[in-house]
Amino acid sequence: MNGTRIAFFAVGVVFAVDTVLLLGLITLKTVHRRRMERHDQRRSIYLGVLSRRLAFPLHTDYIDPEVARDGAFLDAVIDLRNTVAGPEIDTLAGIIDRYGLVKRQAARLRSRFPLGRRLRAAVSLAEMGDESSAPLLIEFLSDREPEIRIQCARGLGRMQHTPAIDAIIERFGKESPWVRSRFADTLVGFGALAAWPLLAYARVNHDYDDNAAVVEAIRVLGTIGERDIGPPLSDLLAKFRNPELKIAAIEALGYVGGPLAVTPLVAYMQDHDWRLRAKAANSLGEIGDPQASPALRLGLEDENWWVRRNSAGALAGIPGGLGILHEALHADDQFARDAAAEALADCGQLGKARERQEQGQATAADLELLGFMIEDALVP
Amino acid sequence: MGIGGRIGGSLGESARVTTPLVGLCYDIETRMSQAKRVLVADDSEAVRTVLVTALTQAGYEVAVAINGNDAYEMGQTGSIDLALLDHLMPGLLGIEVIARWQAEGYQIPVIILSGVDDERTIVDSLDLGAVDFVRKPFRLPELMARIRQRLPD
Amino acid sequence: MVLEVLRWVGYGIVTYFIAMQLYLIFLGLLSAVVMRRTHHLNRFGRVADMLSSQTSPPVSIVIPAYNEAVGILESVRSMSIVGYPRFEIVITNDGSTDDTMQHLIEGFKLERVRIPYRPDIPTAPVRAIYRGRGSVDITVIDKENGGRADALNAGINAARYPYALCTDADVILDAKCLVSAMRRVVEDRQRIIAVGGNIRPLNGSTVQLGHLIRSEVPRRLVPRMQVLEYVRTFLASRPAWSRMNALPLVSGAFGIWKRSAVIAVGGFTTGHLGEDLDLTMRLHRHHIDNKIPYRIVYEPSAVIWTEVPNTLRVLKRQRIRWHRGLMTAVHDFMPMTFNPKYGKLGMVTWAAMFLFEFLAPIIEFTGWFVIPVAFLIGALDATNLVVMLGLALGVGLMNSLLALLLDESFGYFNGPADSKRLVVMAFIENLGLRQLTVAWRIRALIGGKSTRVWGNMERKGVANLGLEL
Repeated sequence: MNGTRIAFFAVGVVFAVDTVLLLGLITLKTVHRRRMERHDQRRSIYLGVLSRRLAFPLHTDYIDPEVARDGAFLDAVIDLRNTVAGPEIDTLAGIIDRYGLVKRQAARLRSRFPLGRRLRAAVSLAEMGDESSAPLLIEFLSDREPEIRIQCARGLGRMQHTPAIDAIIERFGKESPWVRSRFADTLVGFGALAAWPLLAYARVNHDYDDNAAVVEAIRVLGTIGERDIGPPLSDLLAKFRNPELKIAAIEALGYVGGPLAVTPLVAYMQDHDWRLRAKAANSLGEIGDPQASPALRLGLEDENWWVRRNSAGALAGIPGGLGILHEALHADDQFARDAAAEALADCGQLGKARERQEQGQATAADLELLGFMIEDALVP
Repeated sequence: MGIGGRIGGSLGESARVTTPLVGLCYDIETRMSQAKRVLVADDSEAVRTVLVTALTQAGYEVAVAINGNDAYEMGQTGSIDLALLDHLMPGLLGIEVIARWQAEGYQIPVIILSGVDDERTIVDSLDLGAVDFVRKPFRLPELMARIRQRLPD
Repeated sequence: MVLEVLRWVGYGIVTYFIAMQLYLIFLGLLSAVVMRRTHHLNRFGRVADMLSSQTSPPVSIVIPAYNEAVGILESVRSMSIVGYPRFEIVITNDGSTDDTMQHLIEGFKLERVRIPYRPDIPTAPVRAIYRGRGSVDITVIDKENGGRADALNAGINAARYPYALCTDADVILDAKCLVSAMRRVVEDRQRIIAVGGNIRPLNGSTVQLGHLIRSEVPRRLVPRMQVLEYVRTFLASRPAWSRMNALPLVSGAFGIWKRSAVIAVGGFTTGHLGEDLDLTMRLHRHHIDNKIPYRIVYEPSAVIWTEVPNTLRVLKRQRIRWHRGLMTAVHDFMPMTFNPKYGKLGMVTWAAMFLFEFLAPIIEFTGWFVIPVAFLIGALDATNLVVMLGLALGVGLMNSLLALLLDESFGYFNGPADSKRLVVMAFIENLGLRQLTVAWRIRALIGGKSTRVWGNMERKGVANLGLEL
């Protein structure tokens, strides 16, 4: 019967596939595993040899040039590169140079191989951090594979190769959110050198529709923390129309604005958008200038929970703010009382009050705070 | 000497050091007094190798652990004079090992090796009783100097 | 006439099973493609040291706790060291009758704080809120008993961050799990509302002082069968579902949920036996109905470890519970089944869930009776029957082997004994263990009082439906 023959054939195929899968599994477990073990053994040996070279530079063990081809040797070099700093880096750079490790990985990166090998090459180049690979990495910032682009940027950041900053910023707007966030981290690594180019980028691009990149750029500015950026950023903030941009700029000013930024930020605490009010309160806390205290005290009574919470948290970090918070425990406004209590707990005051109480050294303010937290009467 | 060489020290104490291949030959002599025993705990083989090499060359006896739990157990033997603990290890973290040693009364000076982003860890570990911290990647001569300072002869 | 009917029914049943296995092969192949990227990124991508506090959204880890006095401190401590820049831990004491609360207060030096509890999702009454302040922010909510779903809702209410990781107290988190999962969120922040994780059974592995030292496949058959089941579903099914944006289930043991989305649909359903399945489906429905662009994804490298039933008795109760949860869900979401409005979810994955997960025990059970009878009467041809059964078994084996191959990229099982045990399991699981689960699920369908009382081990969501496939 034809049907039966087909059925038998199908069963045969199925069991053939099963056998192939089973063999594949066995191969992976045995052959592949053994290969990995030998790789690890060789790597250990290389680590030993290279460590001795780092520890006593005068002794030079003989290293066969053939090791340049061994992935285990590359792994060992990279591991050491990530472990030691200072003069040992030069020794390693010399080894990288002598054995042509960069050239080899560059060739792999350029190849048409599938993702695995190329990604590995990009990661290796990034980890080796050798200046000679910088032009190549800049070139591959526009590779079709996002993970490779990320690694190239990362490598350029590790070697602090400043010409790359513009290249990375140029790609900012074209990247997906994940890649862009990785680029952002790399730019943070460049520090102050990246601040002005980023500001320029924000100035030019903030009016366009897709602001996500500019938002990210402003965030990076805040993280870099370059104080000189404060005033121009403040000016730029006044020009922004998009609320997301404004929020990012307000947040960044918290880090770079300094006392000069207090006045504009206090103005934002009156904005109709709660997100801007909340961010402004947060930033005023970061700046830590007592000028902001009155505005923050008002913020405790804001209708929005986030604004109240941020205002209270900000006060906890400002000189004199704790006193204001303690006073707010008596406020008429229920919201203000609750916000103040939460902030006093979060900043550790509650814990300290408890400790002092246990040691019999509680102040009146401590007892009041502890009592506030418990529904019933004051703690004795 | 070569592979598996024996190093003789005075007081009949000897430390066996196994050296891998690749044709090398060197002399090591332990110090006059009983060698100080240093525990190196890190899950990264590179860190372990570098530290073991440098410490052995400086004349210390080295015990090695590859995770927090092993490090903790080795500390319990009572023969460790100084411990170099990584913070992020499989098993117990560096600071957890310190906490447990302290709780059980082992007074082992500890130097914590920490990665770049571990601000809070450093503060916590110093609070818990570590005597020093070194950021990774570290400068080898500097680290050795700090060790020598903690282990006076 | 009867002969004809019996013959068709007999063949029909076997065909049904072949169809089921073919569906699984399709999923397996799609998963293999998806996992390839993960594999490369795992080995060469350096994901873990890439997330800094600026880019990573803060996460609240929400843990429901009921009578967990014994291990709660250790497990919360081990959770607090998960590698992630900004997170807080929110524990809900769900009216424990032991001294869980005392342990927590003493262990973390908690202080009661009178802060307003904002019930965005209605829950059982909250008695008090505590905050602790060490290297990790810990908030503990003390409330009256309301069940796991209710406890999770309370935790979500009190969480301060936009994303909540809902998990259990006795779970061991892998150090990189949060980073891996949140990486998916960062990739597509506007749309992603939930991320599911990869759950691995802890049985048989070495755990010391709250940390996983070595993972091993257990010798005992009962947990070993579950290891194979979990590998099959979490490596060969879920990646495919996720790629189709039709993931019907984000496990209760590890799920990252966007707070605003969960609140918008009313949180977990209290009293539901499969609250995680229910919430996932409701999120799908809400977003599709209201035409809101969204994605619910699964991240294979976000790994956690949990204990699974070690004995048949406990396993039975767990499976009965799961199936009852599935029954409720099938009933609730019947309008979505085979409904093209719901895209791949309605037409493929939920349809398959109904067809192959829910109906399977009924059909298989029928088969146990019909096929031998049909064979004895002579309605079924012996060779055909043997061939078709062989086909069904062979394809089932194929799915297991494919899943085991995919598991290699994780490298958790290093010894040869481990793979041997799993391969052997793949061969022998059809010799009785699987049939037992079918019988239990029939039991669940029948219902009755004994299927309504639960102990601790079975109290947690359906977590891992799709295992029976």
